Parts: sequence; structure tokens; C-alpha cells
Amino acid sequence: MLDVVIIGAGPAGLSAAIACRESDLDVLVIDEFPKPGGRLLGQLHQEPTGEWWNGIKETEILLNRANTLNTKIECGVSCHHIEKTETGYLVHTSQELYKTKKLLIATGAAETAAPIPGWTLPGVMSIGAAQVMTNVHRVKVGNKGIVAGVNVLSAAIARELQIAGIDLHSMALPVKNTVTKDHAHPEKVMEGLVRIAHLAPSPFLRFGSKFAQSSKVRDLATKFYPKGGFKMWGMPIHVRKAITQINGTDKVESVTMCDVTPEGDVIPGTEEIINVDFVCIAGGLYPLSELASVIGCPFRYLEELGGHVPVHNEQMETPVEGLYVAGNITGIESAKVARAQGAVAGYAIANEPERLKQAMQAVKKIREAASIQFHPQIKAGRAKIHRAYQEYV
Amino acid sequence: MKETIICRCEEVSLEDIVNTANTHNCSAREIKLRTRAGMGYCGGRTCRPAVNAVLEDLTGEKAGHNVPLKVQPPVRPVTLSVLGGNRNGH
Amino acid sequence: MGINRILNHPVLGPVENKKRITFTFDGQTFEGFEGDTIASALLANGIRTLRVHEETGAPRAIYCNIGHCFECRVTVNEADIVRACMTPIQESMAIESGKVQPAPFNTPPEEWPRTYTEYEERNNNQKDGGTNA
Repeated sequence: MLDVVIIGAGPAGLSAAIACRESDLDVLVIDEFPKPGGRLLGQLHQEPTGEWWNGIKETEILLNRANTLNTKIECGVSCHHIEKTETGYLVHTSQELYKTKKLLIATGAAETAAPIPGWTLPGVMSIGAAQVMTNVHRVKVGNKGIVAGVNVLSAAIARELQIAGIDLHSMALPVKNTVTKDHAHPEKVMEGLVRIAHLAPSPFLRFGSKFAQSSKVRDLATKFYPKGGFKMWGMPIHVRKAITQINGTDKVESVTMCDVTPEGDVIPGTEEIINVDFVCIAGGLYPLSELASVIGCPFRYLEELGGHVPVHNEQMETPVEGLYVAGNITGIESAKVARAQGAVAGYAIANEPERLKQAMQAVKKIREAASIQFHPQIKAGRAKIHRAYQEYV
Repeated sequence: MKETIICRCEEVSLEDIVNTANTHNCSAREIKLRTRAGMGYCGGRTCRPAVNAVLEDLTGEKAGHNVPLKVQPPVRPVTLSVLGGNRNGH
Repeated sequence: MGINRILNHPVLGPVENKKRITFTFDGQTFEGFEGDTIASALLANGIRTLRVHEETGAPRAIYCNIGHCFECRVTVNEADIVRACMTPIQESMAIESGKVQPAPFNTPPEEWPRTYTEYEERNNNQKDGGTNA
């Protein structure tokens, strides 16, 4: 029987494994991707200090440390079911059945779809798919593309595509429907945009960020948003235009773009055909918690954290004995936070109170210093989920 | 105008879901069973939030703290040889 | 290696000294790099479409590229159905795209085939494998 199985070899899973190995626990990390690193692998952005955050290098640092400590990492292994037993867990995978005393689920997040007519055509992909293809596999996803969905994640990845020399026409909203709602609502999108404004060189966006607190100013800015869009790194960002349809018979040939009202309704007669051979859909992220759900862990729906999140405390413990969670499954935040949370979970599993305390402090510090915040109310969300844990003890 | 597909695996459109809801005046779970939205190969990983949003809009059933449209194992498609334990000598 | 490679990257640096791997897709031979997934090796060669929807025949390619959506499933060496985005290419790997499958239950029950011979006969009448056997 293993001491701990860690599902997910991303920043959270790897740093947890390192923490556990420091106490010489019998650890196994599994991941279904052929390489360890998770979504950290694809990340590449410039910090406000000018330094590059290179996910491949960050992964190497974690892996070197893990290898020094003789950590077992199995890639290309999918977990499809977990059973709770008297003494621990049975982890059913595509390779073996693993028995373990404790379990850490660090499965990260999945992308939320923003369905647009034509989005099943070859050439349409999630924004994260384009990121992995570009930075991990070093393959061009197409010759000219467009991004449907304007948010923190899509702006960061659009920039990554640009750096790799891939031509993007622009970023615009997905057409409004029952599903895309908030992502298709210019005023709400503007709210999100002002949060990343400090990353952009445009004076208008900096102006926007100053008045981020004032919804009146924001609404005015939305109303008078220029027809040509505002440029971020030379690429137009439209919040008053939406992609209403993706066209093509066997693959993407073009998109139809329309002007929209400040509420996101299409203005008839404004259709414009834009020739592209790929489209990236960006509907944001939600915690990928299916395995925690299968075990029977209680959940809370918290919009601040990105959706349904397994109940857990500050030590990353869930109310289910021996079950821990870390990383984006606990709420959508940066890879740096995920990595720090992994250490917390690891020291909690290894029962190292001193290091645990330090690791918990580190999470708070990193969260404070985050240059990209996925949700402004993240701290409030964290407080809520930790309070929920108290109901179960 | 092309239709808006919600569930890619089963090619269930927004229109299909709305029509089913109107015809049968049913719960979120029943709509899912009738249309097969979210019940395809991927297990609903791609369309779960989308299906939830449509169903919430149609039925007025708000997302509670419990995960809507219960997650069932296996959470990945599994071959019979793996289930039967034939892989790696189990 | 393919036409769509990002061989030079201003921050990540050049791609060099990669071992080449030969594989086939629907009978046609391609080359990829060691470490490529089926999906990345094919896209590097300009191939996007990996399968068609089993019932409607609508073409599909990668969507999520990280194993969540299962849209990129292909058959490898006439046996395993795998996700192209999660499966590394190997020397001489034979990959087949996903095809249209018979969907006998799409017709009214009175039209369903009653014997296997009947089912096969109807299937053979439709070149693409038959959407309504």
C-alpha cells in the first residue's frame, strides 16, 4: 500500500509530491498527459518586472527537485474511478489498480465552452488547445486566426500566439446566447478587462484601470468603445463586436462578425465576413472536480472560485478522511498559487506542522502579489469555502 | 443561420434542448435523458457548464451546492479489458 | 517534420536535434518529431480533420488538446481507440481516422433489420458505411 497517490502532475501535484518526499513518504504521481507539468508547461508571459515566466523552465525546476528525491511519476495514465475503503483508497487507472492510504486530487481546471454556430468545425479549438500546440508542441495552429472571448486567460494566450509569430485578426466576443451570457455582455467583459489593464500599454486601458471601481465610468467607456477596437500589443480587442457564426464546409474558412449593443445584442445590418483558418474559443475555466465528486466529497458552488469546488480547509484537507485537494480544483488562480498550495497539501499529508505553517503563509503572500487575478473576489471565495469546512468537523 | 450545438459528442443543439423542454415540460435531469446532452463520449466535460446554463434558464432550477447532473464513474471511457482486469495481469 | 513548425521562438529558443519518427495516417506516410502527439504531428503536416461524427459524418479535429473533450479520437494499429492529443507517436504507428458508423436505431422500429444478414445487406448498399443501416 502506498502512502499517497497524487492525481495530476501539474504545479500543485509536483510540489505536493516534493513536500511528501522530503518526509520520505511512499508517493506516486499519475497524469494522463505524456509529459509532467500540466498546464504550467504552456505558460509564457512577461511579468510587470520585465522578467519572463516560462512554464517549461518552471516545470524543469520542479522535476529536477522531484527527481533528486526519487519521486515516482507515471505519465500517460488515466484515472477513471476511485473507491474509498476502510484503510484508504482504491485508485482505478488505465494501467493498474493502486492502493493508497491518502489521496491528493490536483486535476486542475477544464475550459468552459462558449458555443457559437459552427464551433464543431475543424480549426475551431479552445484557447488552451492553441496554447499547448504553440508552446509545448511548437506547431502553428493556423495561418490567421481570431479569438472569441475576451478575458484574462484569452488575452494572455493571444499574446503568446503573437510572440510565436502567429497572425491574429483580433479578439471579439462570442455571440450572445443562453450559455455565453456574461462572456457576450460588453459591460461585464469591460469589468474583466480593466483588471488586466495594467498589463497593457494602451493609455485608454490604463485610464480604465484607474476607474475600475466606478461602474458609471466603465459603462460610459463601453458605450463609446471605438469601432476599430482598442489595441493591446498591436492587436485590436473588440468588446462591441461579436462573432455570430463560424463558416466553412469541412474546415474553418471565415467568421461572421457583427456590432453589438452595450448589452451584447446583435445590431442588424452590421455583418462583416473575416477570412481566418482557425478560431480560438475562450469561455474561461472551471475547477475539474469529477473525481472528488465520484468519491462523495461535499461541494460548494462559489462563483468567486469558478464553479463547484470540493469543500476543504486552509490545510487543503477535505471532510473525507485522507482526501486532499490542491491547485485549480480548489478555485481558479495562477500556477504560482497552485504550486504553493501543492506544498501546503504535501506538508499536511506528511504531518509537518512547522513547514505547513510556512507554506500556508506563502500561499497568502503569492496571492497578494499576483499580477493576474482571475476573479477579483478570490479572497472572499476562499474564506467561504474554509468556513464551509467547519460545518463538517 | 447554422444551429448552435451545445453538446458536441451527441450533436445536441440549443434548439433541440429548448424544444424538448417546451414539449415535455420536464426537469433538468429528464431533458438530459431525452436529448442525451452531456451523455456522450466525453462524459460531459466539455458541455457540462453549458448544459447546466441552458437547463437553469429553461427550468429555473438554480445550481445548488451539489454538483448538478451527478458525476458517475468511470469518468473516462474504459475498455472492457481494463474493467475485466486483463491489462497488466490483474 | 511538417510545414507548420515553429522552429524558432524568440523566448523559448530553437527546436533542434529532434529525432524523426515515421507513421501513417489513413495509409499515407508522414514524419513527426519524437515527443509529438498524434495530433501535433498531424497538424504539423497540415492535417486537421481526425475523424467524422459517427452518425452525422460532420468532420472533427482537436478541440481541447488536453484530453478532456475526446473529439480527437483515432484508431491506432487497428486496435486501440485513443485520444490523438494524448498519445505520443511511435515509429511505424498506423493511425486511422474515425469513420461514420451504422446507426440502425435512427429509423422507425418497423424498418429495423431483423437478421444480421439483412443488416449487412443494407450496410453494403451504402458506400460510406451507412448512416441508416
